[in-house]
Amino acid sequence: MSALLDIRDLDLQLQARQPLRLLRRVSLQVAPGQIVGLVGESGAGKTMVSRVVLGIAPANTCVTHGSIVFDGRDITHLTEQQRRHLLGREIAFIPQNPMTALNPVERIESQITDVLRMHLNLDRTGARDKAVTLLREVHLRQPERILRQYPHELSGGMRQRVLIATAFSCKPKLVIADEPTTALDVTVQKQILQLIRELQRNSGTSILFITHDLGVVAKLCDHVVVMHGGRVLESAPALKLFASPGHDYTRALLAATPRFDRPGDELRPIPAVLTQRLADEARALDARDM
Amino acid sequence: MALLEARGLGLQLPDRSAVQRFGRAPVTSIFSGVDFTVEAGESVGIVGESGSGKTSLARTLLRLYEPTAGSLHFKGRDISRLPEQELRPLRAQFQSIFQDPLSSLNPRHRIGTILAQPLLAYGRVRDRRAGWREAGALLERVGLPPAFVDRFPHELSGGQRQRVGIARAIALKPDLIVADEIVSGLDVSTQAQILVLLRELKTDGALIFISHDLSVVRVLCDRVLVMRQGEIVESGRCAELFANPAQAYTRALLGAIPLPDFDPGWAVRGDPDEERKDQQQEAVKMKIAGSVALVTGANRGIGRSYVKTLLAMGAKKVYAAARDIKGVEDLVKANPGKVEAVRLDVTNEAEAKAAAAKCKDVSLLVNNAGANGSSGALAAGSLDAAHREMTVNYFGVLYLTRAFGPVLKTNGGGAIINMLSVVSRVNIPALGTYCASKAAAWSLTQAARAELAKQGTLVVGIFPGAVDTDMAKGIDMPKLDPNDVASIALKAVETGTEDVDVGDMAQGVAAGLLANPKKVEKEFAAYLPG
Repeated sequence: MSALLDIRDLDLQLQARQPLRLLRRVSLQVAPGQIVGLVGESGAGKTMVSRVVLGIAPANTCVTHGSIVFDGRDITHLTEQQRRHLLGREIAFIPQNPMTALNPVERIESQITDVLRMHLNLDRTGARDKAVTLLREVHLRQPERILRQYPHELSGGMRQRVLIATAFSCKPKLVIADEPTTALDVTVQKQILQLIRELQRNSGTSILFITHDLGVVAKLCDHVVVMHGGRVLESAPALKLFASPGHDYTRALLAATPRFDRPGDELRPIPAVLTQRLADEARALDARDM
Repeated sequence: MALLEARGLGLQLPDRSAVQRFGRAPVTSIFSGVDFTVEAGESVGIVGESGSGKTSLARTLLRLYEPTAGSLHFKGRDISRLPEQELRPLRAQFQSIFQDPLSSLNPRHRIGTILAQPLLAYGRVRDRRAGWREAGALLERVGLPPAFVDRFPHELSGGQRQRVGIARAIALKPDLIVADEIVSGLDVSTQAQILVLLRELKTDGALIFISHDLSVVRVLCDRVLVMRQGEIVESGRCAELFANPAQAYTRALLGAIPLPDFDPGWAVRGDPDEERKDQQQEAVKMKIAGSVALVTGANRGIGRSYVKTLLAMGAKKVYAAARDIKGVEDLVKANPGKVEAVRLDVTNEAEAKAAAAKCKDVSLLVNNAGANGSSGALAAGSLDAAHREMTVNYFGVLYLTRAFGPVLKTNGGGAIINMLSVVSRVNIPALGTYCASKAAAWSLTQAARAELAKQGTLVVGIFPGAVDTDMAKGIDMPKLDPNDVASIALKAVETGTEDVDVGDMAQGVAAGLLANPKKVEKEFAAYLPG
């Protein structure tokens, strides 16, 4: 099966007097209908990967190597105009913080219908009807009422549902979700994950799910990519990764995750020796490539 | 005497969202009737969803809010209505760490000033210089370089800032620290560091630790209180409460924690209590420990994995069935009394019946034996392979299900595992006849499930992608470890899951079939050589 999203040997550099390498030959594939988890600590580069795919990498950065192929098309270097057609319609995004991702001075209605009117050529009433349907699909009660409300009137979980509804609104082929549940408590997190799973099953959309939480990955993803220091350390089917993790770092991450069901297990932070070793390896890679 | 004791503590605040014109805001109850004690040196967790009143309770315990009902005693002294002036000297003895370290550290002060402030306010140090020296020592205690005293909060990472928050809380050597969701904004590895640090420091005083994540509480606390809608619904020692939660709400909180174990069904299942009700009515499940199983095709591949995994999961006895029992002799030898060899050709109905007559104690039947002629339906020269596939993969399952149905019934229902395949769901024309036989086996699985439901037999269908065995030698794609497949299948029996798609490929195909079956069919058709 050919991949929907195929990232090959991607390098991203921060253009400064001392160029800094943000991504080091990152390769990852997302097959159609698959949920791929991209896991790592803060600073691992996982958000950078998503930003490069979305074409919103910071202005002072530059892709110096590799390619991103989406649905058979190279999208590594697209013009703003070409990207506008792609984003929202074929690639959609669910952001991390539902508190800041919605415009606080605009009603929910226009924030959803803007997307629909632009991509689906709907008129005002058509877009409104569609928005009501979308909110129902994400299990929000009284959708007509919510459309009239402002973001601050909704809870965090409700806001995240609105954002998910918007992301899935144009039946995208790929949804990139960047830590969509990190700001939520466990109960709401579970509801949101169930919702994402349900929408994904119904639509066959592929999802690139970015998180630092291996637990979430174990429950949601088919395939897992583990990143650290801007490079991919391990890439394996979820089944395999959790049964027998291949990389020391993956094992260390698992040992650092507290579990209520195994009180006897000692909680171990990532050992400094390992972090040092990974940094050395990264330096060696830079010496080779740069 | 308890360090901190709350009796019938309650808090009501004006509900500003419901303010009426020219009127006072109606009051709304945030929490009520909270009873609990914290002993010196003890750590107590408070858990609940957002909105359950945990943070308000924490603030009331710190007397940042004045309780509107009940009493709060600190070291025997009633502090619930003490004016701020009299409270001030006591405040040194109970300190707090807040959730968001960025907003709780003054952005315009250097870390040294931030840490010296409480020391100066309580006269613990003579002057600013001594305060800064002490600040350096505090930073060292929380694992930061003392040189950080010169930095501003924005120059630190989230984990480092939270360490500063901890350093400030321990500066006055308090008897009690209240920590409110202090690790929820951090990633896993930073969280682990902070938890380990807190556990090291914990010996110094008591800790009240507020979190929505029960896993974190388990690491740190001796006792735990569960809050829901402003009331404590359950409390107890961690070990007991986690092992045996009495309240459905606590179980739901536990069930909501995604543990790092592969479980694709988790995000599809609902509330564990609802599930339990459903399962009582519908699906049956069975414990592998103590069960007696019969595995067909046990001489190789997934069959061998089944035998080993069954024993590892505590099965009482396993009949290793094979056409040629030489292939299972080593299993028998390695597990004396646990594994018994059974000669069985699944294509022979009489032998299936004989096996059922011999193995009367079987409660789990694993229909694992399979045959694969590896050819296209129309391209094949002879039809022998196609016949053989059908006889083994379909009739074999049928014979054994018929023979063992009554045995399972007498043993209380039991379970059957049928090894199907992703190709039961869609045909790969390059293996046309094999896929057809596997599709027949799936259809048979559905029939058996319906017919055996009334005798309480669980019939599980396992749909793996390519598995790393002799049979799949020629297939060029990522393969599953047979041991993983066996353990997933057996777990399905334990959880009462009827159909399991195992592995990336199978799950992708199942999802694809839901979305667009024709597309999947065409895609597999493309694998036909030539």
